[in-house]
Amino acid sequence: MKRSVLVVDDEPNIVLSLEFLMKQAGFEVRVARDGAQALKALAERAPDLILLDLMTPGIDGYEVCQKVRGNPATRAVKIIMLTAKSREVEREKGLALGADEYITKPFSTRELVDRVKRLLAETAS
Amino acid sequence: MTPGRKWAIWVGAAFALTAIVFAGLIGLVILANGAIAEHVRGSPGVPAVIAFAALAATVGTGVLALVVWSRLLRPGAALAAETKFIAETGRDGAIDPARFPWLAALTAAVNALAERHAAARREIDRQVAAATDRVEEQKQRLEAILRDLSEGVLVCNMDHQILLYNQVALSLLHVAGELGLGRSLFNVVTREPVLHALERLINRPLAEARSEDAAIAVVCATIDARALLRGRMSLVVDADGTPSGYVLTLNDVTREVAELGRRDALLRAATVELRGPLANLRAAAETISSYSDMDVTQRRSFEDVIRRESDVLSARVEQLDRDYRTLTSGDWPMADVHSTDLFNCVSRRLTDAGGPQLVMVGLPLWLRGDSHSLMLAIERLAHEIAAATRAMSLDIEALLGDRRVYVELRWDGAPLSSAVLDGWLGGALPGALAAQTLGEVLARHGSEIWSRAIGESRALLRLPLPAPARFQFTPPQLDLPARPEFYDFSLLRPASADRHTLTRPLRSFSFVVFDTETTGLRPSEGDEIVSIGAVRIVNGRILTGETFARLVNPGRVIPPESMRFHGITDKMVADAPPVQIVLPQFRGFLGNSILVAHNAAFDMKFLRLRQAECGVAFDGVVLDTLLISAFLHPDMEGHDLDTIVARLGIEVPGRHSALGDALATAAVFVRQLDLLEARGIVSLESLLKASNITLELRARQAQF
Repeated sequence: MKRSVLVVDDEPNIVLSLEFLMKQAGFEVRVARDGAQALKALAERAPDLILLDLMTPGIDGYEVCQKVRGNPATRAVKIIMLTAKSREVEREKGLALGADEYITKPFSTRELVDRVKRLLAETAS
Repeated sequence: MTPGRKWAIWVGAAFALTAIVFAGLIGLVILANGAIAEHVRGSPGVPAVIAFAALAATVGTGVLALVVWSRLLRPGAALAAETKFIAETGRDGAIDPARFPWLAALTAAVNALAERHAAARREIDRQVAAATDRVEEQKQRLEAILRDLSEGVLVCNMDHQILLYNQVALSLLHVAGELGLGRSLFNVVTREPVLHALERLINRPLAEARSEDAAIAVVCATIDARALLRGRMSLVVDADGTPSGYVLTLNDVTREVAELGRRDALLRAATVELRGPLANLRAAAETISSYSDMDVTQRRSFEDVIRRESDVLSARVEQLDRDYRTLTSGDWPMADVHSTDLFNCVSRRLTDAGGPQLVMVGLPLWLRGDSHSLMLAIERLAHEIAAATRAMSLDIEALLGDRRVYVELRWDGAPLSSAVLDGWLGGALPGALAAQTLGEVLARHGSEIWSRAIGESRALLRLPLPAPARFQFTPPQLDLPARPEFYDFSLLRPASADRHTLTRPLRSFSFVVFDTETTGLRPSEGDEIVSIGAVRIVNGRILTGETFARLVNPGRVIPPESMRFHGITDKMVADAPPVQIVLPQFRGFLGNSILVAHNAAFDMKFLRLRQAECGVAFDGVVLDTLLISAFLHPDMEGHDLDTIVARLGIEVPGRHSALGDALATAAVFVRQLDLLEARGIVSLESLLKASNITLELRARQAQF
């Protein structure tokens, strides 16, 4: 079965690219433009992985992350945090709140795809 | 059945029949002899003598026939086959007369003829090559010009059929497929403005038409009204002065028109909106200076006005400044640039200048800017970094950000302080437009550079650049060929419109002959490409200047048994880019040429297994020299590359490298084109039908 990825970001240009890259890598892709949409998408069906921007309008990425980890139905979902904040404390906070990976923008597209693939390979095995 | 063999059978049959008849006669004679001898005793039988003579004659004839057959007929047939092969292939090298001792004179005559034939052929080849070189050179010049133009170019005949277009035109017009040679221009752009411009061109006075500025301006829109285009039109005029077509160059000005609008608004704001506060200020200032004796309360109220209006003015100026900064500099030649192109240019220049080595990593991205000044700026940065840190090798990668694309340079060593970076900004960039400095080029792209450490021992320098106007990743089905071989001037004569690819002569296609070296023979079980080599064939000529040779990091260990075959080691590919980078590069090299390989099923399987993840598609026609050889010479044994190369007398250096084998295959393929033509197979369609290549390939791919 196709693995699925939920892209949560409010920046339309990057969403287009992320969606394309994930589809190219063979994943099913859903997109949420903010935290509320992300939670709704999660409630409908849990993805295998979330690409989560921290600076989403309304409910921010940290909160989405906590909610995902707090819900038994979505606890196993892999989370990659995407953010323009590159300070060490923010990274620590993100990982502490349950993110599996923390990638700062701008990012290497190839590395991003590699990390997504690697994380999903872990869950498969 | 060959004529020689037919003869041999006839002679053999005749001889056998004669022998049977004689044997019968002898039998009869002996029987009759015995009967007569009963009656006439003593005298030796005359019939017996006749019988023995006949027997001797039969044996003699038999021996003679045998000799004729083995010494003349059979070698004759072999000689005929060799002669035919020489006639067909034009192979150099004489037939050894020692092989045909009884036919020595004939062999010598054939050799003489073959020599003349070869000499004539060489002379023709030489002349064709020289002529092709000239044509090819002009063609390449035209292609290069078309490719590098930032304008879309369309050439149409007077019936508005498109004869030529470049890729910029394709992307400007937002079409995928509808813009074909011979199609009507009005499928893609609005009709009225073009017709109007054409009418003006045709009807204007002759003197004006001959003046230097022979083009007139056109503004039109795409048929889907998605883009506003501005361009120029000029006529293509025959020798006798009648117009036979027109050239249209186009720019997408949608964005610029919007920018111009904002610019106008900004200017209006600067001139009109500042007037109010300025007038108030002036009035207050003049009043105070004219009435120096006014009382304190009055004076204070005027001072309040001055303070308030100054604040308003400052705020307005701040606002204008912010607005101004958001306008990209429309007057500068900004265009979407592919990072691979940009980095390649920088890398070449660095190599030429003995600068640091540039290692391209990651996936390429589009960005927006003036590619020439960006190239100079990055080159300068690389030189400065190398000079400051003694790093001899820099990694370069394009990174994707929210609203920008970042060029990142990484090296072993310490990061650079901003004081050092600021020190670089004032240096002029030789060759840049209007002698700009590095700082000016960066400012024009709204860019700042900074450097920081990565971990303990590495550092980076980041250069943010504007995001492209286009979507970052082109979906595969819209993947445009890298070479603009999109023209057919024979369409100037409208009769030959709308030709189909399949019926085009084989020779008129451009081919890319390629070979891959791999970690093993089982792509479906994890074997990977370690190198790709390719060469282009245009007009039946191998363009050795247009080759593609890349090592590929297979992302796995190369087994020793395959290493023995191609000589590529793990160490050699350690720094090579992965297939995700090389395959798109190869797709770019392929353009709209037809792929050719020896035993293509094998190589195609590798390409097709990886194409989707690389965002490219190899879905065009593929030809296979192995299958063509099997079709051409079904009787000959051995259709592997070595055997064919030896059979056709081709000498190619560097075999068993991807490029060497590609060159050998190309040489074979060019000969095969001759042989196919000799059999009347001239079009692509007839070749595909005759040799059933497509079906065969599909069946064979299933093996790997």
